[in-house]
Amino acid sequence: MTDAAEDEPEIDLDGPPQPMYKFLRDNMPVMAVDHELMNGTSVALHDDVMTVLRNPDLFSSNGAAEIGQIRPLIPLEIDPPDHSKYRKLLDPLFSPRRVAELDGPARELVNNLIDEVIDDGSCNFHDKIAEPFPTTVFLRMLGLPVERVHEFIDLKDGIIRPPATNSAERVEMVKVTGAKIYAVLQEAIDERLEDRQDDFISQFLDAEVDGHRLTSDDVLDIGFLFFLAGLDTVTASLDCMFAHLAQNPEQRQRLVDTPDDIPAAIEEMLRWESPVAGLVRVATEDTELSGCPIPKGETVMVNVGSANTDERFWDDPETVDFDREINKHIAFGGGVHRCLGSHLARLELRVCIEEWHRRVPTYELKPGLTPRYTMGLRNVDNLELVW
Amino acid sequence: MKVTLDRDRCQGHGRCYVLAPTVFESDDDGYGFTIDEDVSAESETAAHKGANNCPEDAILITESTT
Repeated sequence: MTDAAEDEPEIDLDGPPQPMYKFLRDNMPVMAVDHELMNGTSVALHDDVMTVLRNPDLFSSNGAAEIGQIRPLIPLEIDPPDHSKYRKLLDPLFSPRRVAELDGPARELVNNLIDEVIDDGSCNFHDKIAEPFPTTVFLRMLGLPVERVHEFIDLKDGIIRPPATNSAERVEMVKVTGAKIYAVLQEAIDERLEDRQDDFISQFLDAEVDGHRLTSDDVLDIGFLFFLAGLDTVTASLDCMFAHLAQNPEQRQRLVDTPDDIPAAIEEMLRWESPVAGLVRVATEDTELSGCPIPKGETVMVNVGSANTDERFWDDPETVDFDREINKHIAFGGGVHRCLGSHLARLELRVCIEEWHRRVPTYELKPGLTPRYTMGLRNVDNLELVW
Repeated sequence: MKVTLDRDRCQGHGRCYVLAPTVFESDDDGYGFTIDEDVSAESETAAHKGANNCPEDAILITESTT
């Protein structure tokens, strides 16, 4: 492993992360991290990242992240072969065909949110659109009460961004918050046990895996993962993409003039921004990456954002090119744990970008504003737009 | 031209059948398969587009020599 290089550049941790990714690739492609809040080996090269993601036997996701769970989350923390049984159950619910049914309701919802701000000439996009839109879609799907959205957002933030100063404190905080999330889900499960509704929790209660009904705990373990995955990732993606478009007026105008280019633009912005910047796994045996030893039990932090901008793999990775011919980005991860919700995420991103640009074609950052990105899951809380 | 999709490598990213619907299709779970391994001349560009955008490198194109 490489020691920190002396010519470490001034990197603004709240700013765009791509310069830091490049610095890591060039100087510390495999790096031992021993920080109060982070401990493990970070991996920055595309090839190494793919090796980790495509070898779940050697790099397991079971127990890789302490995020307040009391049992392995389903299906993320289940290794093959059991993993595929759960994916078989869940994949159809999130297939492109199935999520396409949400196009109409999602469009109506985002238009209602735009109605609330359009006459003001400015808004905090994160607070008014990027957070309430995907969160509401997801709570409805799962079967949790939408009117408690702010409470759920706080719980999700309590897991993803706990105000802890060290690792032990963080684990303690997420445990307390995790217990509250289990309680919310258990309440919903108990209600659905009595009275099925048209929602995922009801469907899970009647679902079978391997000829066995899912238990109430199984449904809880799926719900806990969904709660965290569904309430933050699309928010981060919308924040990153609108921050990018607000600062690149030619690309913004292109999406206004040719909405058919929006899907390709989304893929390219997913690559460049990598809103979910990292994933974690744990080594099940002594192994190595790029010649660096990885001991059994080591937490391996794969840098998705760096893999998606690695010049060893990509042609001209620093250019955000909506016409990119070859785009094998892994913004949704890769291998067996490829993001289950990726097609839902794509639908939400497309609907939001289409409707916003149709109704608010010209917008920019509030003058003087510097977008601040959070680490890991890259929200932009201060995304003030004016039009 | 022949195109094959390795179902063991495919993880359901869904890029191929979205970008090249004349060549690839989705099963009920969202995983891709080829409609016909023999690609017509007019679908060759589409087949390449699908292969070029598969994050799992699950699509293989073989140019026929005849």
